[in-house]
Amino acid sequence: MVRHASPTKSPVIKAVVAFMLAVAILGALWVPIYAHVEPKLGAFPFFYWYQLILVPVTAILCWISYLLLRTRPARQHRRAPQPAARDREGVWR
Amino acid sequence: MNHLDGVALVIVVASFLIVTGIGFAAARWRPAEDPMHLNEWGLGGRGFGTFVSWFLLGGDIYTAYTFIAVPALVYAVGAAGFYALSYTIMVWPIVFVFAPRLWSVARARGYVSPGEFVRGRHGSQGLGLAVAATGILATMPYIALQLVGIESVLTVLGIGGNSSNIVVRDLPLILAFAVVSAYTYLAGLRAPALIAFVKDTLIYVTVIVAILYIPSRLGGWGHIFGVSAAHLSTVNPATGKPYGNLVVLPAGQWAYATLALGSALALFVYPHAATGVFAAKRRDVIRRNSAMLPAYTLVLGLIALFGYMARAVPAVNAGVKAGHGNAQLSVPLLFSTMFPSWFAGIADAAIIIGALVPAAVMSIAAANLFTRTIYKELFRPYASPAEETKVARLASLLMKVGALGFALELNKTFSINLQLLGGIWILQTFPSVVIGLYTRWFHRAALIFGWLAGMAYGTIEAYRTSGGGQAHFGASASVVFGHTTYIAITALVINLAVSAVLTVVFRWFGLQDGYDETRPADYVADPEPARAPSPARAPSPARAPSAAPAPSAAPAAAQPPWPAAPPPPAWKAEPAADGRASQVSADWWSLDQAMAEAPAAAPGPPAAVTEATAAAKDATIEFDIPDALAGRPQSRERLPRRK
Repeated sequence: MVRHASPTKSPVIKAVVAFMLAVAILGALWVPIYAHVEPKLGAFPFFYWYQLILVPVTAILCWISYLLLRTRPARQHRRAPQPAARDREGVWR
Repeated sequence: MNHLDGVALVIVVASFLIVTGIGFAAARWRPAEDPMHLNEWGLGGRGFGTFVSWFLLGGDIYTAYTFIAVPALVYAVGAAGFYALSYTIMVWPIVFVFAPRLWSVARARGYVSPGEFVRGRHGSQGLGLAVAATGILATMPYIALQLVGIESVLTVLGIGGNSSNIVVRDLPLILAFAVVSAYTYLAGLRAPALIAFVKDTLIYVTVIVAILYIPSRLGGWGHIFGVSAAHLSTVNPATGKPYGNLVVLPAGQWAYATLALGSALALFVYPHAATGVFAAKRRDVIRRNSAMLPAYTLVLGLIALFGYMARAVPAVNAGVKAGHGNAQLSVPLLFSTMFPSWFAGIADAAIIIGALVPAAVMSIAAANLFTRTIYKELFRPYASPAEETKVARLASLLMKVGALGFALELNKTFSINLQLLGGIWILQTFPSVVIGLYTRWFHRAALIFGWLAGMAYGTIEAYRTSGGGQAHFGASASVVFGHTTYIAITALVINLAVSAVLTVVFRWFGLQDGYDETRPADYVADPEPARAPSPARAPSPARAPSAAPAPSAAPAAAQPPWPAAPPPPAWKAEPAADGRASQVSADWWSLDQAMAEAPAAAPGPPAAVTEATAAAKDATIEFDIPDALAGRPQSRERLPRRK
């Protein structure tokens, strides 16, 4: 019953995902863009609120990427539970 | 500060007892038919869905030590301590990219540790050993640091601390660790997975309450940042420079970025993180979790702010001074000064339990590494699954005892130094593990030399740095070409350069490369968790290939990843064995193998099929090599790994 995360996703989707993930990584990696005190949000210097806001932004970007790359339809996750569905031997041993 | 806080202590002890009960009960959670298998003990049956994985990975990666050490760093030096936040931000996109491939290949090949993958991928026992040894070496001090986290809470609670008798002083710690070792031994990964629920609930409650409540008592965030900025700009008499800054200065930005990047790259080659990934049920679970685990990152960011809050409380500053300037006491002290006793107890319990979960997962991860990559590979290639599990259990005990020894006997700074080195070391396995997921361009011997070069450079360079009152191992960054850079990153660059150059050289001389036992399709495989066959019918849990599987499996069975001859009619005609069709999986590899073996395996009555195939599979196990061997010499190191 093997399924493959199909490698046939269109290059456009892959490029979009790569772009979003790159934005998320660079947003944290490129320190000069956020190492400032101003503009403040309340009492918080920019340095702090920028990073705290980047966290949910990254999460959303990852979630969109997941939706774009998903290969199996969502409802399949909610099939009848398989209590004994475990792989005793690893596979192929 | 050493008065005993009765209420808080009672709450801490009570939560510890509850957690202990859960730990022992975990042995019966999702019981396995064959508990004596490493997949069960060491990976919780590889059956954790999104929800459980979220708790397990979160509980495993965001350790108590992080929750103590990060605010301590912020307390001491300010903005530079926030690299931990930017590191845990960028780690998730990185994990999103490569962890699914690692999961798939581990699932398809039955690997339980990264060391095994490296051995199989590069066909090199030596490289597998190097990765395993690095993993174990880096994990041991990490476990010890969890104990350091517990110790700082116990000190603030007024237990231990001052007695000169080592047994009296450390008895609570030893007791706690003995109990954890016992239920980890029994229940394996299921114990920390269940306890993670408690741990994370407590952590979230504590952090949310603290972030809403404490600033209002301290006169708002403006006051907190103001006091911290004032402190950070005063000159440190020891160095003649300010203590730190509220924002990273241009001079520190390169160090900040490389520290964050290096830590992010290193995180998922740590064995305990890989164990959390391998335990997932499906490939999708990992991607979904990389979008959901940032919730912990947010918590980490808020916890880092505790460092500034602690600075704004005079009582905490006095307490830290009384504790010989140990900034790690700042958060427990903050809790005990700001909260009523009962809530301080809950917060302290969160930290203690938060140390137990990662300690358990780490010891299991190291035990898995040891068992499969060292014990089985070097000493007992034919070890049965039950024997593997026994060895892994003992190894996990040994790891814990070793870590306890570290924490009790050796100077605390020694553990911290080793942890610093561990981060540098573990990143040196990145080329073999993560780059190996994508390409085998690197020669296996070149990878070993690159690893050696990175390890040597990293160790020597870390030894040479001074700081924080230490002559050696004083900092994790050193100056390279005028930039202060995280040593692990420099070492990784050297590692990659050596590997690349030597790869070209070795290929030029035609040095034999290893045999790759994985297949391209392994890296995108997403097998449905297979149902375990009933033991009465099949002595070995072999998957009987069937050409008439349940409808849901039909599309996959009809489209193997490469064009193949149709299965022999004998198989096609096979009736679903008394309605158990859905239990036999048509994984492409077994399907493929069935095709190769079909002429040999005479189709018997349905009841005998499973056993016949199992026997045939075992007898002809080398048959999976030929088609992929084309053009590649077979490694002499390939062991008959299956019984």
